[in-house]
Amino acid sequence: MIQLSEETRSGWRVVSVSGRADSEAADALEAALRSAVKTNARVAADFATLDYISSAGLRAVLEAARAAQTRGSEFAVCGLSAPVRKVFEMSGLHHVLRIHGELPC
Amino acid sequence: MVTNWSGTGASESSVSLGFFAAPSRNLETPILPVPQSTDSLLLDGKLSELPRVTAETARFCRRYSLSAEVELELNLVTEELFSNAIRHGGCEGMRDAARVQLEMLADGVAIEFADRGAPFDPTAAPAPELDAPLETRQIGGLGIHLVRQIVRDLRYERVDGWNRLTMRRPTREGKS
Repeated sequence: MIQLSEETRSGWRVVSVSGRADSEAADALEAALRSAVKTNARVAADFATLDYISSAGLRAVLEAARAAQTRGSEFAVCGLSAPVRKVFEMSGLHHVLRIHGELPC
Repeated sequence: MVTNWSGTGASESSVSLGFFAAPSRNLETPILPVPQSTDSLLLDGKLSELPRVTAETARFCRRYSLSAEVELELNLVTEELFSNAIRHGGCEGMRDAARVQLEMLADGVAIEFADRGAPFDPTAAPAPELDAPLETRQIGGLGIHLVRQIVRDLRYERVDGWNRLTMRRPTREGKS
């Protein structure tokens, strides 16, 4: 199960992602992030309450980051717990994404 | 360390939880305490089976007081192998397509994953280009890469129409 919510904070469109970003939830995650990127110049994915991510969830984040780059928008990932951050690091995606400890706003 | 597994599940029903005999071991393998238990789960070839694996893994981790990090990584390993078998191995829609088994060892968690998909040896899969830039970064192969990052002693065999993988996720807080 994944829960997604959105709000605007200090000029950033923040997509808060809770629960599990797994194979079942990846499409919903990608759709929410892409939609936010389409209509906002600065988008942050807030993963502070994300319990789990697999390669399917990582793929969704990567696709959103690519869409942002194509549009010239900013895209950042924030608030990773230690185990989730470790998955990003094992994947190598931390090299190509902006990852913040705190929200960039 | 080499861990041999006994039995490939001939006695298992669709959801069997219970105690099995200790695996036989090679002579050169250090003698470890008898594994504390074995949980086995038989899965149909659909992603909606994942919550059952997650729930069983959570129960297993609670029983042995394993950390959130270990629990996440056990889930990650089984999800990646299972979703690969469904997406690329032809297990989509297959009844009793895969089997997952977790076992507590002295120095970690032994994981057995087996599926009835097309023969696939993840120990021979090429590694993805992790340092490629965002524009060209390929995501294919990432799941197997994550599995290989997390586990040790990954071994593959093809037995009676099953791909059978055994591996171990080490734990610092290893139980004895």
